[in-house]
Amino acid sequence: MSEKEKDRKSGSSRRVAGCVLCGIAALLLIASFAGNLLSSSESSRSSLKELRTQAVLHAASDGLVESFAAQARSEKLKELRADKNFRKRGLDEVNAICDGAAQEARTKAQALYANPKVEDRSGLEKSIEDLEGTLKNYNVLRNAEREAYSALYVELVDNVGDWTELTGEAGEDDEALFSLLARQCPALEKAENAHLKASFVSLARDMSAAEQVKKDAEILSQLKSAMAGSVSDWNALAGMDADALWEALCAQEDMLRGNERFRTEILAAAQEHIQAAANGETVEEAQADEGADTVYGTQTNFDYFKGTEKLSQLDENNESAYAVLWGELVSVIPDLDGLSDKLKSGMRDTIEGIVYPGDDSFETLYNTYTANVSSVQGSSFVMRLSASAKKLMLLGIALMILGAVMVFWNRLTRLFGVPRTIISVFFIYLNLAAVLYNISVPMMLGDILVRMGMYGILVLAMMPGIQCGIGLNMGMTIGCIAGLLGVVMSLQLNMMGFGGLMFAVIFGVLVALPLGWAYSKLLNRMKGSEMTISTYVGFSFVALMCIGWMMLPFNNPKIIWLLSGHGLRVTHSLLNNYAHVLDDFLTFRIFGVQVPTGLLMFFLACCLLVWLFSRSKTGIAMTAVGSNPRFAEASGISVNRMRTIGTVLSTVIAAVGIVIYSQAFGYAQLYNAPRQLGFIAASAILIGGATVRKAKVGHVIFGVFLFEGVLVLGQQIANAAVAGGGLSEVMRIMISNGIILYALTQSGGASRE
Amino acid sequence: MAEEYILEMNHITKKYGPNTVLKDVTLRVRPGEIHALLGENGAGKSTLMNILFGMPAIHSTGGFEGEIRVNGQETQIRSPMHAMEQGIGMVHQEFMLIPGFTITDNIKLNREITYPWLGSRIFGKNLEMLDEAAMRKDARKALDDVGLEVDEQCEAGGLPVGHMQFVEIAREIDKQGVRLLVFDEPTAVLTESEASQLLSVMKNIASRGIAIIFITHRLDEVMTAADNITILRDGTLVATLPTKDTSAEKLAAMMIGRGSEGVIAVEKRPGQVGEEIAMEIRDLWVNMPGETVRGVDLDIRRGEILGIGGLAGQGKIGIPNGIMGLYEAAGKVTLFGQPLPLNNTTESLRQGLAYVSEDRRNVGLLLDQSIEDNIAFSAMQVKGMFMKRLLGQKDGASIRRHAEKMIRELDIRCQSPTQATGTLSGGNQQKVCVARALTLGPRFLLVAEPTRGIDIGAKQLVLETLVRLNREEGLTIIMVSSEVQELRSICDRIAIITEGKVSAILKPDDSDADFGLAMSGSKLKGGMNK
Repeated sequence: MSEKEKDRKSGSSRRVAGCVLCGIAALLLIASFAGNLLSSSESSRSSLKELRTQAVLHAASDGLVESFAAQARSEKLKELRADKNFRKRGLDEVNAICDGAAQEARTKAQALYANPKVEDRSGLEKSIEDLEGTLKNYNVLRNAEREAYSALYVELVDNVGDWTELTGEAGEDDEALFSLLARQCPALEKAENAHLKASFVSLARDMSAAEQVKKDAEILSQLKSAMAGSVSDWNALAGMDADALWEALCAQEDMLRGNERFRTEILAAAQEHIQAAANGETVEEAQADEGADTVYGTQTNFDYFKGTEKLSQLDENNESAYAVLWGELVSVIPDLDGLSDKLKSGMRDTIEGIVYPGDDSFETLYNTYTANVSSVQGSSFVMRLSASAKKLMLLGIALMILGAVMVFWNRLTRLFGVPRTIISVFFIYLNLAAVLYNISVPMMLGDILVRMGMYGILVLAMMPGIQCGIGLNMGMTIGCIAGLLGVVMSLQLNMMGFGGLMFAVIFGVLVALPLGWAYSKLLNRMKGSEMTISTYVGFSFVALMCIGWMMLPFNNPKIIWLLSGHGLRVTHSLLNNYAHVLDDFLTFRIFGVQVPTGLLMFFLACCLLVWLFSRSKTGIAMTAVGSNPRFAEASGISVNRMRTIGTVLSTVIAAVGIVIYSQAFGYAQLYNAPRQLGFIAASAILIGGATVRKAKVGHVIFGVFLFEGVLVLGQQIANAAVAGGGLSEVMRIMISNGIILYALTQSGGASRE
Repeated sequence: MAEEYILEMNHITKKYGPNTVLKDVTLRVRPGEIHALLGENGAGKSTLMNILFGMPAIHSTGGFEGEIRVNGQETQIRSPMHAMEQGIGMVHQEFMLIPGFTITDNIKLNREITYPWLGSRIFGKNLEMLDEAAMRKDARKALDDVGLEVDEQCEAGGLPVGHMQFVEIAREIDKQGVRLLVFDEPTAVLTESEASQLLSVMKNIASRGIAIIFITHRLDEVMTAADNITILRDGTLVATLPTKDTSAEKLAAMMIGRGSEGVIAVEKRPGQVGEEIAMEIRDLWVNMPGETVRGVDLDIRRGEILGIGGLAGQGKIGIPNGIMGLYEAAGKVTLFGQPLPLNNTTESLRQGLAYVSEDRRNVGLLLDQSIEDNIAFSAMQVKGMFMKRLLGQKDGASIRRHAEKMIRELDIRCQSPTQATGTLSGGNQQKVCVARALTLGPRFLLVAEPTRGIDIGAKQLVLETLVRLNREEGLTIIMVSSEVQELRSICDRIAIITEGKVSAILKPDDSDADFGLAMSGSKLKGGMNK
């Protein structure tokens, strides 16, 4: 009784707090609306212009002042160096003296130039206006051209499997190389892309050079380890000259013959071994990095970008407009003319950045201007309000959602459960943050859709496992490996297109059937601790297959280690086979979102099949076994048989899933790569609202959307919010593992019910 | 005289939340007497003992009302340790012996006799040497007292079960200052001769001035050993009386008897049940943990309701579970003249048996699924009903129609057929179970504990439903229940199970005493099956 009352009391205080939050949010929204209105008013527009002129002037004067300070500093340094006591002074002392001199000069200069008096600003303002116009034109065109370039770049890089092959075929002939490139990417030959011809040719040459370096390194490392393996007695080789040593090495390891181009490196390595053997040690071989750096998606490299004639024309317009502005500035602050060229060009960048910050919104303009004006005049409350209208709106919406969630907490948690409510709210907040950081939401959505299709079937594989009562099937990696066998088999046979993909799927399923059956027999003997068992089995099977991948008798040179002649490579590009065939099937673009139709259709078709199965007699019996085995037994159902069906189904779906995953990813990764997939799938389905005892197709679809959504958005926002690539990688790991941890704690809570 | 009683528990009342499990119970024990504490399962014996030993389960649920006096002193017993300090000992039903230790070590555990030497004088008492000889002497004496003639240096692990019980007792009486010993069903695991030996040991102990509280349900033992008897029923004190003033029949009547109270009024069967045998059970053994069946023979006539009663743990629940193949079973069962294969649930269901399990929440229902799915499940799996031809999909519409019909007929109170069964009340859950069994269209219905944990109104409805099915549809029913009154109100005959066997087959209008005697396994009176 009292507990219920307590519950009600905390509920009512929560509701009150929620209402208060909603109230605050409403006020913020009103303020933001007012700010929006104000920002478009005539007066704030004109004061914004005023601010701009000030900012330009300030930037100019500031540059001048700083140049004086720098000059004073270097003079002081020169003077100190001339002094014979210079070496006795510490670095800190020298710095302090120079800084003092610079500060002194700065103060003096500021008094002269800080607030330049301008009688007539109209000339200045007009020239700023003109510059803004030309800059805007230039930028619009430049962005359009860069985008076109980027599209070409991505298409080309995605389609070309082997750059060395291309350059080898074309030789030194640029025209031939270009026509080969155009065969991969027909859009290259369009008239409007003519100016990029040379760029792409040099891109191809650079790419192939980089690839060659990588291949060489790989071969060299293999040669070295082969040599280390074949030579039994290093001491016997001591004291030979280079030629004799080479002969001796070749005699012991055949592979070295015919690889004379690595002679120097090999000899150096051999010397190292000999040295070590003389000291009674062995050389620790540097482990080649197995985790090939496969980045999802293609990042455009703009180093090869080149503008059109028209663009350079516009750039010239900029030049002349800036010259006018410069003239105006010099007329206000005559001393500017005395600056060095280097300083002048630096100042030009600053001033152009102020005049056209690349965006027309009131907020950006205001922030750019005020950042450059130290003592902001005319920055009234109204201006500040107008500038922060967007932030206020986002904050208002965020608070509104928080308030609403607090008010309707009970109803929401009853409907969706606590974890789904929290993650959904988090997802909405990430979307708001994406707007705040000006991240392109359509692009994100496209990314999320691709990843949904990519991971969806793997997540679906969790469902039969949960339904039949073995809980989270961490051993789905067994199915993944079966699927990878299918992929590798299709590569071995050089299969391409839809046929190759279907072959990989069917082969994977055929391998998965007996593996899943054996695995289910094991699980049926370990009732009650399936989660632990399946995690261990999954891990050990991955480890076992690390040996397996080395031993299996594949012999297509495209997939095995180049020199040793056996053992599969770690990463296999599917670009020449069937990468993205599903993604590109019936794909279309809507509202800037690229929809991978075929991929999503395949995922949904799999969902439909599983749904139909779950409504069949066997499916219903299986679900009953999972939710209450003793009940099922009392209805004459064989618990072990149903668990076997569920486990085999889960393994088979995982096999299909990894093939689809690989085709969407563009690469098949062997060895340790599938190890974590079980965790990702488990956390996705748990976030979708499944528990370790109950799962539906809806949980799979919703879960994979939320999980990938949070991951993609979170990663981008971490990138935008925290500068530097390293930290965003840390954030990515934190977000994905945090979700897993959270989901697992929640699943524990659910099973205790 | 202040110390007339060694222990007084006066006016003890204990509530668990809204349920009163003990109401104004008084128990007084004199030094040197054997005081029997009698009662059915759930009468409140264990709760009373838990209070005496200050078990945490009592304190954490709000304590109790009333006073406890030890030796005339009012005492607050805070913990089992504290009870031991007061000289109250317990001989446990489960043995608490360390298998790898000798009997002597077990008896003297934590009370070892030691002597000092140089090391212990320096490093303290913990290093003192064991005085093996003195310990063996003490152990021998204690073992002699309980009449156990085994070497005191044997390892405890190898002893027969009966001997372990005696070692346990020896340990208790070896303790200094023991004034009161509680024996909790000590004869449950003993053979007949061991049991009688135990009784004489108890008398021997009592003769030395130690009081004994003897908890049991075997009336003949009570009549042999006890001086005084306290009887509990439904948490209330029925009587405290000297053994010489009573008889086993009277005791049985007092344990069971409720007169007419709690009997649910159901119209009596108009005529007689025919002689045709519906099910013949011969020498049925069922390996169900805690409810083992050891050779049951029963005949069930077509169209009758046969009740199966008995105390918990005696095997009555094992019978339907064995017939349905839910636990390993052996023996011969014939259904309507056809032999029924055992250990094959599917076949049992196909032959027209249906079972409403005693464990409603764990076996009877899928708690997180809807009422309609629960009702349709067994029929769908066993008989392939409610399926569409196309793609083998379930036929939602026909399931809905059937569920609505069942909900109407059995008066299941729910919001809709899609409500999860976990959110229903106990009585309505039970009706869903019955509906599921009926959907199979059975010829023979087994029902276990149909009224457990449901309120009186729902009880009436469930029992009426069973009677209606029996009268109108001619369904033969076996009903297993712990509540004798319930069996007496609807059954034609009632078989009482003790120690895995049928001890008596009674008529509903036989006396309370007959029921009590049969349930206590007393062999004093006839009515035996064989």
